[in-house]
Amino acid sequence: MSHLEIYLDYAATAPADPAVSAAMADCLRHEFGNPSSLHAAGKRARLLVETARLSVGERVGAPSERLVFTSGATESNNLALQGVLRRSRDRRVHLVTSRIEHKSVLDVAHALEASGVAVTYVDAMADGYVLPERVIEALTPDTQLVSIMHVNNETGVIQDVAAIGKVCRERGVLFHVDAAQSVGKLPLDLAASPIDLCSLTAHKLCGPKGIGALYIAPRVTLLPQVHGGEQERGLRAGTLATHQIVGMGKAYELADPRREAPRLAALRDRLWQALAAIEGARQNGDPGRRAAHILNVTFPGVEGESLRFALRDLAVSAGSACAADSPEASHVLTGMGLSDTRAGSSLRFSVGRFTTADELLEAAAQVATAVARLRSLAKSSPAWCSA
Amino acid sequence: MEYSPAVVRHFDAPHWARELPQDTPGLVSGDAEDRTLHVWIRFQLQLIGGVVRAVGFRVFGCPHTVAAANVVAEWLEGRSVAEARGMDVRGLCAHLEVPVEKLGKLLRIEDAVAACWRTYSQGS
Repeated sequence: MSHLEIYLDYAATAPADPAVSAAMADCLRHEFGNPSSLHAAGKRARLLVETARLSVGERVGAPSERLVFTSGATESNNLALQGVLRRSRDRRVHLVTSRIEHKSVLDVAHALEASGVAVTYVDAMADGYVLPERVIEALTPDTQLVSIMHVNNETGVIQDVAAIGKVCRERGVLFHVDAAQSVGKLPLDLAASPIDLCSLTAHKLCGPKGIGALYIAPRVTLLPQVHGGEQERGLRAGTLATHQIVGMGKAYELADPRREAPRLAALRDRLWQALAAIEGARQNGDPGRRAAHILNVTFPGVEGESLRFALRDLAVSAGSACAADSPEASHVLTGMGLSDTRAGSSLRFSVGRFTTADELLEAAAQVATAVARLRSLAKSSPAWCSA
Repeated sequence: MEYSPAVVRHFDAPHWARELPQDTPGLVSGDAEDRTLHVWIRFQLQLIGGVVRAVGFRVFGCPHTVAAANVVAEWLEGRSVAEARGMDVRGLCAHLEVPVEKLGKLLRIEDAVAACWRTYSQGS
């Protein structure tokens, strides 16, 4: 990262906390054993893995034995959706999800649909909220799984997973929650929640990339998606990445939402205060129902790609980093009713542990300058350029 | 998206992105747009004595479009009308290394300039 660059893309990924890097380096230097081995080196590695599993479990309110380590939330989402819906081949199965899920859920849903699974995609409201009633209305006798993200990765809007999960449990339908954006930002108490499957990641809360976990409630059985060993109770084959797991454990130990969220919310609000001075700027997503770290703003009258290029010293996103190479407008924002043009003119700012107030003021100044310059280039342009 | 150094240069300093005053003698202008490509362009040419004396443009578009419009404007200024009418936008902008999926946007630049020539022909 250039020394001039301001990093406001914590929803895409976060820099590793120095304590995480130190724990991982220590593990790499001293504990190379395979956690599945029975000798002393293996046992020491196993102890590190299980200690980390306890830390993760403690942070999300889950018994550690209910957690399966994966390569990240994308794999966890794949394991949850495919693991449930590919179990039975002899009868109709139905999945309910929303149109504003992350690609790692939507693309799996599309693949399942292609193999015969019925899928209902529930629309979001204009404020980014998925009405629990809409999800419930979509349930059919064939519904085996509902998958709704906890916090939207583009708008930060918090979905009412408690209300949806309650009805799912009453109807005997499994409920999966992608918590990649909420863990560490909102308190989670999975064992006490009506959530059957929950995808977790490490790198969005200052942990390492390449490691995540899936919480699996006691009564849930899954069809493994990776074969080749009995690791993780046979649900996820492959040698456990001890140093990654240690890093995830340390990250979860450090990420206390009660301590961190108020600070992040104050930073986010300060940023919005500064950006709101730009004529026409408007927030996307219900500000009253939003996680602390994400702010999504539309700047009408500027072309999106040019805006992002003009702000190339500012690390912000047009939407999901996982769709950054796509020329398509954000499916989340268009799913909330924004035009392709307006969705393109939107930026996601996300703050994190190492963000400073000075950086935010500098970022807002850079955005104001870029927007003014691009609006000047497009002076006298037709109404559709702003609509 | 990767951008060539020429795109960066023209995007950061598009000197011809300006508006010529409406009372400029010999002023013709032409617009073109493609909503599906998210591009709108207006060219203004000051044509006096068979020569393009001044050029200005406005643009709503991606960095490649902004850069290409500036390249075209730079090239047009000072040309004779006869020479300017034979302009080859794709050839002029080859050094910008515009990706193939964006070539349609360059056609809109051509359309905006062509609209200027139509106005000029109607007036002369």
